[in-house]
Amino acid sequence: MNDNPNEQDVNDPEKPHHSRFRILVCIDGSDESYRGLKYAAKIAKGEDVDIVLCYVRPSDQGLRSGGLQMDVARGNMLEWGLELPGIKYLKKGRDLLIELGNLHEDWSETAFHTDIAGTSLGDNKIDYTAKSGKKIVLKLKVAQDVATGILDQWELGHYDLIIIGASARWDSKGAQMIRGFFDPAVAEKIAIHAPCSVLVARDLEYGHGHLMCTDGSEAATEMIKKDAYIASLCECPLHLMSVALDVESEPDAQKAVNDARKMLVDMGQEVNDTIVKVGNPVDEIIEEGPNYSLIVMSDSGKSGLQRFFMGSVALKVMQNAFSSVMIVR
Amino acid sequence: MKLVKPMAGLRKRGNYLYFWEKRWFFIAMAVGAGMLYMPLPDGLTQSGMIILTMSVVATILFVTEPVPLPTVALMIVIGQVMLMGIDSKTVAKSLMSDSVLFIMGSLMLAVAVVKQKLDTRIAWLLVRMTGTKTSYIAFGITLVSGLLASFVGEHTVAAMMLPVGITLIQLTSDDPKKVRNLAAVLLFSISYGCSVAGIGTPSGGARNAIMIGYWKEFFYDPTNPETFKYLIDYVKWMIYAYPMFLLQVPFVTLILLFTFRPEYKDLSRAVVKLRSQVEAQGAMKPGDWIAILIFFLVLLGWIFGSAEYGMGTIAILGATAFLVAGLVAWPDVNSGVNWGVVLLYAAAISLGVQMKDTGAAAWVANSFLSILAPFGMDEGIGLWAAVSVLTTGVTNTMSNGAAVAVLGPIVLKLAVAAGESPIVIGFITAVSSAFAYLTVVGTPACTIVYASGYLKTTDFLTVGWKMATMSTIIMLGAAAVYWPLLGS
Repeated sequence: MNDNPNEQDVNDPEKPHHSRFRILVCIDGSDESYRGLKYAAKIAKGEDVDIVLCYVRPSDQGLRSGGLQMDVARGNMLEWGLELPGIKYLKKGRDLLIELGNLHEDWSETAFHTDIAGTSLGDNKIDYTAKSGKKIVLKLKVAQDVATGILDQWELGHYDLIIIGASARWDSKGAQMIRGFFDPAVAEKIAIHAPCSVLVARDLEYGHGHLMCTDGSEAATEMIKKDAYIASLCECPLHLMSVALDVESEPDAQKAVNDARKMLVDMGQEVNDTIVKVGNPVDEIIEEGPNYSLIVMSDSGKSGLQRFFMGSVALKVMQNAFSSVMIVR
Repeated sequence: MKLVKPMAGLRKRGNYLYFWEKRWFFIAMAVGAGMLYMPLPDGLTQSGMIILTMSVVATILFVTEPVPLPTVALMIVIGQVMLMGIDSKTVAKSLMSDSVLFIMGSLMLAVAVVKQKLDTRIAWLLVRMTGTKTSYIAFGITLVSGLLASFVGEHTVAAMMLPVGITLIQLTSDDPKKVRNLAAVLLFSISYGCSVAGIGTPSGGARNAIMIGYWKEFFYDPTNPETFKYLIDYVKWMIYAYPMFLLQVPFVTLILLFTFRPEYKDLSRAVVKLRSQVEAQGAMKPGDWIAILIFFLVLLGWIFGSAEYGMGTIAILGATAFLVAGLVAWPDVNSGVNWGVVLLYAAAISLGVQMKDTGAAAWVANSFLSILAPFGMDEGIGLWAAVSVLTTGVTNTMSNGAAVAVLGPIVLKLAVAAGESPIVIGFITAVSSAFAYLTVVGTPACTIVYASGYLKTTDFLTVGWKMATMSTIIMLGAAAVYWPLLGS
């Protein structure tokens, strides 16, 4: 049905539809993921922003449950009239959106279902559409593992922004302490591989503004343009920061900040303050981060493999920060 | 000011993603190639080296899971034919044994039992016996889950009891945060109750059947009456292991209650609602009685007939009876059993037997012993503890059946080399493989209960080490005091 790429459906928010801004919020039932959803709700106040809530259930290998398919246990739960965790989490997300005023009772509701071999649930999707065409979608997806599921979901919808909690439950397939060593955390995997901007939420709280970190490069300029748009949607205050590696290059950092400020002012945006620091960019940014809602950084532009071996400032900040980080692509 | 959405600058997803996802596969292959080109260590034959290499590669793949696990089974078959040069007919034959039939039959039985919906009856009986106090209910859940799991397998009971636990939790409070500790106590009572019971009888888990298969394959010689003691049947296993399970039950409840301290000391509200829910189902139907009867007969068959017909045959007979009686539909059985797991155990056992035949198992065992010797752990209780710790470590990273399949041949040869009883060492391995309390993947029951969404991985660590310590002490006690009385 709708997941079939040959079928055209312009009203489907999972399909590329470039005038609208689409946010994919990964829901895993953790508080972190709902904080991310609240933030998405702020961005999505406008008419031209859609939110898709996605829960990914890793498909079974069977071995872990001793050769008895997890489905037998799930089916048994359903027969008792109990809701499976994924559905419960998504419904909680939907209720949150109603509470925040993003979703109203009068929106039309359509449910879709796709069978996936080997599970009783398959992929499930509920569309809520406003008369204006604005959409909110709940999606329960079955995939080989959580990260793959989310990246596949991006392929379907070409989202502009993925919001994902940095919390433990996303640690590799079904969150296993030891496996986590072999398999990087899901949030990290998404941040590395997703082709769009990724917001990794850690204690994400609305109202403290975006800390845009620039090094004056072309990628950073692009980032500022894109984040200015996102910030304009949620009316978040903007702050600029640049870090010079040593005292000699401090003027360069100052120039980067000034150029960015000028560009933002030309775009009609207000910049609250600018920060220039000298030192290790990763440490300085991480230290400054908790004062803001989120740290915004540009993707370094290196290919994934290079990034893995060399690491980029953005990735290191994302891995080690105490606050939320958005990597803009 | 409101801005216009900038055009998305799409970055292409590179193909490296595939290699990154599968990196452990390539690493395992590289390790394998490296080992094959290494000069042969002293005392190891060429074919022993190949089998050892295959075991190492398979272990890496079991733990890291870069490819679907049944693929590893297929690779083991291919490796045996193409690397070892064994005739494909021989390899095909080595895949099927009574242990594998038993695993397959037990899984079919498990699906059939879960489909009978006897869980509501069990829940009703349970709360009738225990009353409404949380601590009594927790103990009751552990004991009932355990008693059932020891016969029908831990995955079956975990799947059956999970809704009972969750119903009790949800009827107490809708807000998961208010019942976090209560949820932990009730759900862990199910999973740990099942886990400690899984050692009780051969049908408690695949690992037990695998060990029984290894004993027979390694030591049994039909012409030598001396070796007949290595034929461990259902009853003999129970005599060895069942008391250990019963001894552990009260400790499970105590550990859980002291670790999590539930928010509600009394669950009368939930129990009353659960009772009315169950009573709405009406009296037991004839089908329910027939299902119970069939299972009871299977149990009797295992106890009295397994020596003659083999446990696998009895299990398959039971599955057949359920199908003939129309109590379960084939599509349910077909989709409820993960056949890949049967394949995987078949290949792992076949690999284990090859480990013995080529002398690779003995070589690893001797190397391991020479490492232990300086610490004085090459005999007696030191060796037992070493084997137990090794098994516990391995089993927490992969499924316990796979752990026993991989480690079995090595520890049995270890016992021979160290002059210890292979039966004691074998039991220690099979029993320790149930001590996977620390991780979600460790035991089937933990995996199933974790799927409820109420538990965090850290919960498993918080309480798991206490469980592992308790179980290890009880097991070493049994090995030192109880098992020698049985003449092993």
